[in-house]
Amino acid sequence: MADPTLSVDKLKVDFGQGDDAVHAVRGISFTLDPHQVLGIVGESGSGKSVTALAAMGLLPKSAVASGSITYAGKELLGLREKELATIRGVGIAMIFQDPMTSLNPVYTVGWQIAEAIQAHQEVTKSEAMAKAVVLLETVGIPNAADRVGNYPHEFSGGMRQRVVIAIAMANNPSVILADEPTTALDVTVQAQVLSSLKTALEETGASLLLITHDLGVIAGLADRVLVMYAGRPVEIGTVEQIFYEPAMPYTHGLLGSLPRLDSDGNERLRQIPGSPPSMVGDRQGCPFAIRCPLRADICDREEPELRAVVGPVDPVGADSSADGPGAPADPGPAGADATAPVHLAACHFADQVVRLPVASMFPDTSADHEDVRE
Amino acid sequence: MTASGQGRPESRAPDETVAGATADPPADEAPLLVVDELVKHYAKRGKTLRRDAGIVHAVCGITFSIGRGETLGLVGESGCGKTTTGRAVLQLVAPTSGSVRFQGRELTGLGSHSLREVRRDIQVVFQDPFASLDPRMPVGESIAEPLHIHGQWERGTGRRRVADALTLVGLEPAHANRFPNEFSGGQRQRVGIARALILEPKLLVLDEPVSALDVSIQAGVVNLLEELQERLGIAYLFIAHDLSVVRHISDRVAVMYLGRIVEIGTRADVYERPEHPYTQALLSAVPVPDPRKERSRTHIVLEGDVPSPEAPPSGCRFRTRCWKAKDVCALEVPELIDRGGGHPVACHFPERTAVV
Repeated sequence: MADPTLSVDKLKVDFGQGDDAVHAVRGISFTLDPHQVLGIVGESGSGKSVTALAAMGLLPKSAVASGSITYAGKELLGLREKELATIRGVGIAMIFQDPMTSLNPVYTVGWQIAEAIQAHQEVTKSEAMAKAVVLLETVGIPNAADRVGNYPHEFSGGMRQRVVIAIAMANNPSVILADEPTTALDVTVQAQVLSSLKTALEETGASLLLITHDLGVIAGLADRVLVMYAGRPVEIGTVEQIFYEPAMPYTHGLLGSLPRLDSDGNERLRQIPGSPPSMVGDRQGCPFAIRCPLRADICDREEPELRAVVGPVDPVGADSSADGPGAPADPGPAGADATAPVHLAACHFADQVVRLPVASMFPDTSADHEDVRE
Repeated sequence: MTASGQGRPESRAPDETVAGATADPPADEAPLLVVDELVKHYAKRGKTLRRDAGIVHAVCGITFSIGRGETLGLVGESGCGKTTTGRAVLQLVAPTSGSVRFQGRELTGLGSHSLREVRRDIQVVFQDPFASLDPRMPVGESIAEPLHIHGQWERGTGRRRVADALTLVGLEPAHANRFPNEFSGGQRQRVGIARALILEPKLLVLDEPVSALDVSIQAGVVNLLEELQERLGIAYLFIAHDLSVVRHISDRVAVMYLGRIVEIGTRADVYERPEHPYTQALLSAVPVPDPRKERSRTHIVLEGDVPSPEAPPSGCRFRTRCWKAKDVCALEVPELIDRGGGHPVACHFPERTAVV
């Protein structure tokens, strides 16, 4: 079996200390296998971006991280800047939401791509520049040979993000982390950027950790999906399991609350009552309990651990296999997941929830059930 | 405090029964709002004393109407002019030319006194509920402000009306004493809606009302807007970039590109039978949250970027990115007319293609 390229184990990230501490990430474990696309979804404040920052060693100094993040067997947490620099770009590359956070406004894009190449490869400046042009062509920038001499402000938002993707590809990384890479973009621009991202994955063979709140983007790209809520993963499974056999009420609620482009719109949306919990201080029980229609005594007492879901036997269609990667785009070894339980959910009633029709659990009212904040 | 169960969504007229062959709402009565050949150009402010730094063609001759109790969705990407259109309807910006008629009354050129009268019937909800609520004012006072402005505040009934408005949007009357920072984003948007509704308007202009909200919160506000419309019969001009939300909430939909409407029709016309290549590209680019469906769809990926509205292309504005463009597209502006497909489309080579 291939070594996992990126592995996160029991990662916790706190900001501050004592009673006021914000528990941004409260224990997340996953492995990103070669050539795999793992999607992390969750709403604002669920801890998905902090997880990515931790993996890149980019947490602010005020953050206290524990647990383990390994890349190719090497522990990344607590690594010094100098050592991290040998991994960033060439081992793990990152794409952020706002391309201007990664591009330097005073250098041409060609210069910046060439710099990334020369940081890890023994090539001359002109060779690096030539490669920069090729990379820009690969990500779909028209007239790449002319555009290398342009500055970031001379590009549109979508083009800038494609330049960032070109930089991420420059050293053939084995892992790309993308944190909301298309969130600020218009939908036709998003389509361009996603197409560039797919090209980058094909060209480099990298695996992708894709963090987004957009379930549509996940549906199109991910092999496996991790759903985060209140700083913890509440469900992990193949993209088919998450979308067609969700086993955690929160996942049900998310899917039911989406207006669908592919539906005539005559059905009311399902609404998850309430709002996500505060991440300050400690709490008992399942963090979703107060919003959950299945809430029982045990939910208030015990926070459920992630455990394997005993799912229904293929209720969706004959073409879905319960343990296959499910995605035709996945060129990876089919047996990569075979040893691990594939579908995990953190719910005391997961085995019942997985049998419910998707999104049927929540009411289709407009009522406001949120508690007014203190 | 649940405000549900008033009317099922099925009670809405099916799309097919709506007169589909025009850009107009059902013709059984005069439309509430008629926008005709609306144009808004902005003079670009140049450096130092140069005046003629260029003109931004934000909205270039758009025509549409909204019937009573109807929702018209206005979609398009950043810079297409949809927000400017909303503001011109509200007369928050003065149109360069064209006409905006509300209940038969021309709004362009009205003085501030007459406008105030009209604004009782046309209210607005903005995207960012934080920016539109005064942080130092209890929300009850914010909601009551329109009553004061329009001289409708009465000691006996004022508070009751505020309490009723809060109840209407699913909040507690007791929330009137709280400040905006005590509410979540979804609740603040409900407060914004309560304030817009207190004068019992006939038309609500909603500019990206749910785009700042997380999906689970967004669903509640969308459901609320639908229920309010069923109960109160208000018309909505729903401006948004999210095509899924617009399909969900709209009766009819207008698609804008670079200041012009390129296609307009019933929800089913635009989403199931789009004819304009831009509409098709736009719809095909929206990812559907269904892995099997999403992976088997064809995505039209457009080349290049939207041209600058300072120097829009001649003829059809979409031609620079269109895979069907021919010579005629550069020479002639395609009119927004029914070209045999059952609804108006501004394209010389329309072709019905399902892309969703």
